[in-house]
Amino acid sequence: MIWDNLGCMTIDGDSHGVSNHPRFGWQVTAARLQAGLFGFWTALVFAFLYIPIILLVVFSFNSSRLNIRWEGFSTRWYGELLGNKVLIDAFQNSLLVAFATTILATLLGTVGAWMLHRYKFPYQRALGLLIFIPMVMPEVLMGVSLLVLFVQFLHLPLGFLTLTIAHTTFCFPFVLVGVQARLQGLDPFLEEAAMDLGATPLQAFWKVIVPYLMPAIFSGALMSFTLSLDEYIVSVFTTGAQSQTLPLKVYGMAKVGLNPQLNALSSLFILVTFLFAFGSYFLTNNKKT
Amino acid sequence: MPLLAWLLLFVIAPTAMLVLVSFAERDSLGRIVYDFTIQNYIRAFDWLWLKVLFSSVWYALLTTLICLIAGYPVAFFIGRAPQRWRTLLLMFVMVPFWTSFLIRTYAWITILSKEGFLNSILVSAGIFTQPVEILYTPFAIVLGLVYNFLPFMILPIYTSVEKLDSNLIEAAHDLGAGPLLAFSKVIIPLTRPGIAAGAMLVFVPSIAMFAITSLMGGGTNPTIGEVIFKQFTSGRNQPFGAALGSLLLLIFVLALWITRKYRQED
Amino acid sequence: MKKTITVVLSALAIVLAGCGKAPEAKKLSVFCWSEYIPQSVIDQFTKETGIQVSVENYASNEEMLAKLTAGGGQYDIIQPSEYVVEALIAQNLLHPIDKNKIPNLSNIAPQFLKLSFDPENKFSVPFMAGTVGIVINTELIKDDIKGFADVFKPQNQGKIVVLDDAREITAWALLSLGIPINELSDANLEKVKPVLANWLPLVKVFDSDSPKTALLNGDVAVGVVWGGEGAILLQSNPKFRWVIPAEGTHLFIDSLAIPKTAKNVENAEAFMNFILRPDISQKISDAFPYTNPNLAARKLLTEDQLQNKASFPSDADIAKMQTFRDIGTQGSKIDEIVTSLKAR
Repeated sequence: MIWDNLGCMTIDGDSHGVSNHPRFGWQVTAARLQAGLFGFWTALVFAFLYIPIILLVVFSFNSSRLNIRWEGFSTRWYGELLGNKVLIDAFQNSLLVAFATTILATLLGTVGAWMLHRYKFPYQRALGLLIFIPMVMPEVLMGVSLLVLFVQFLHLPLGFLTLTIAHTTFCFPFVLVGVQARLQGLDPFLEEAAMDLGATPLQAFWKVIVPYLMPAIFSGALMSFTLSLDEYIVSVFTTGAQSQTLPLKVYGMAKVGLNPQLNALSSLFILVTFLFAFGSYFLTNNKKT
Repeated sequence: MPLLAWLLLFVIAPTAMLVLVSFAERDSLGRIVYDFTIQNYIRAFDWLWLKVLFSSVWYALLTTLICLIAGYPVAFFIGRAPQRWRTLLLMFVMVPFWTSFLIRTYAWITILSKEGFLNSILVSAGIFTQPVEILYTPFAIVLGLVYNFLPFMILPIYTSVEKLDSNLIEAAHDLGAGPLLAFSKVIIPLTRPGIAAGAMLVFVPSIAMFAITSLMGGGTNPTIGEVIFKQFTSGRNQPFGAALGSLLLLIFVLALWITRKYRQED
Repeated sequence: MKKTITVVLSALAIVLAGCGKAPEAKKLSVFCWSEYIPQSVIDQFTKETGIQVSVENYASNEEMLAKLTAGGGQYDIIQPSEYVVEALIAQNLLHPIDKNKIPNLSNIAPQFLKLSFDPENKFSVPFMAGTVGIVINTELIKDDIKGFADVFKPQNQGKIVVLDDAREITAWALLSLGIPINELSDANLEKVKPVLANWLPLVKVFDSDSPKTALLNGDVAVGVVWGGEGAILLQSNPKFRWVIPAEGTHLFIDSLAIPKTAKNVENAEAFMNFILRPDISQKISDAFPYTNPNLAARKLLTEDQLQNKASFPSDADIAKMQTFRDIGTQGSKIDEIVTSLKAR
């Protein structure tokens, strides 16, 4: 059943005038089959992505401290989590840095990709290669060299600012590469047409190009947020006492067994994200109808 | 130009420092002594480190390939889904990774271990008579890498699929092309930028990634990221770590430069 | 558009607000292993003394060292292991401790004091100690295992977990040859190589953070692990047995020390004294089943805790153990040897 529905959705969802053209029966069937297969495959991949997450949520209700075998139902870890100020503070710090990083990296990546695409300047090709350095550089090298840069050359105190700068540095290439891909094959007349209608280059960029790039910008923002949230090695070198993020608290924990409060925290965060996502989904759809 | 300033300050400056350090020496506490030497590079050109690098690149390639095969249909499906669903589906690809990395990975370890869920299912279903070794094998490494990098393949491809003109696909169909032909001749070439971007975003970071490799592979396959990390920390040899890192950067940038040049001449 | 700008600005404002906190008189900045000092202990210290504690975490000695030597932060207390204490003393990076301010030092068992890395305890006090030993899953291994030589035998191929720590592994090989664990000359490293070449291919898992996982999951049958890991395994299931290697083993001593750059030395000393108080030390033992060097605190522990052989080896066993000395630049070479034997 699901198979069928998913199949219909892909074909009918976005295509216009399926019935306007004469088609051979086998072609329609084959197209449907292909869409159905893709839907089925997508379902499988989602199952793959969520298998460990289901386990993680289940174990947040486990009464045993060791995250390995099921020993009975308990909400103990949720209770303890609420009283664990250190963990909650660290999580807040993580979120704060991840949001700030996402905004900065997305801006930097989008504008950077547009500049590289739109304008010609010397050493452009070299610049295009430099973008990849933060991606390929092992985290420990990046962490230590940024630490030295911040402390000995820029004299910045380690804290939220340095941490956000460091995170932005390894996140923005992800945005930039994604936006670059979207820009390839962009109709150059799009910007020209806008300018002909009296828009300044900035207006044209903001009103025409940005909306066109939106899916790539959104993907880039998602990637930045995720990367920043989970970063350990770069963080350990570039953060201060006031900005200890969750991974810093978690990494030493394995020594005594990962605290199931972390499962509880992760489960709650996923729950909140789901509620938020579905909530905004229904809100926007209600507005439209 | 903000990009240029950022690059100069936080990318080029640290890289320059790294290269500088790679020609330096260190004292017994691991502090850098600025003294010109190429000893670190002589040591770096050893078959051992090359082997480690090859193995890291091999795993990264394999990961990229599997992510592409597994991720493309998902990206296509999401990109062709009704507009209002797309954002939601895209979010759902990413949400599993908003959990703690270690918690997620230990969940996989629990699933794949000898007395874990997968083995108990396989044995009780009669597929195997006794538990098989899944965890701490190359298979587990690749599984872990694919799991963690899959979204970075799906998202860029999605952005390419999303802008496909459905009329174009229609036209291909109308010309009598079957779905397979339409797919390989029209859709794949049109989404090539997305594929290239996705491949970069998976391949490049997975070369130096080592947390997954050591946790799920049992640490028996040293990777270049791990080697550099250990030389930097327990080896207390930052200059040598920096030399290995600089070489990695150099090889990578050269490879990228050559492919780009080649592609332009094409 | 306006909304976006507001969001950006407010985010930046929050970010910037986090940076510049006004200095307080009663402050203490602690740089320690994550989770190693329980939060309840820190909270109690603040409650009793009014000193605000800010905590920064790391997950390995070397991360701490790298950050400290780069001038990363102003720390009043750090938590180095014994060989790092020695290195820091040698580089004149530690502040001497006024022992008059730390009367509770008398609670520490003499076998953990005045050791070679800090002969007069001028710069460090022991926080927690521990050993490296062998854990056997007696359901899977029936042989009598007495030491390293019995673990690394061909019949145990693919059944072994060891710490992913080149220095540790090399130390075991040295012990099996009867060489003291700190004599890491190039000549001795050459002698160690063939031993490691036989040992390492037998190993299934290298893991320093949580070697207990592979043992608990049944993926391996025997492990050479930290005492604290062993203690957790012994607690969890009677099938696990703990053996102190016959060849001798490594006794590690995680210490507390004050960096030279510390600003609140008196607060740091007060913190040290507080940590060495029996009731506080007991709390740490409850959270971490390592070897508590605090004799007064041991009196407060339960019989179960004291009976755990992985936590508390006998004095006779401890007498045979060795602590790590600083080995300076040899670390890089040891890492290379172990890496090369792994990557075959």
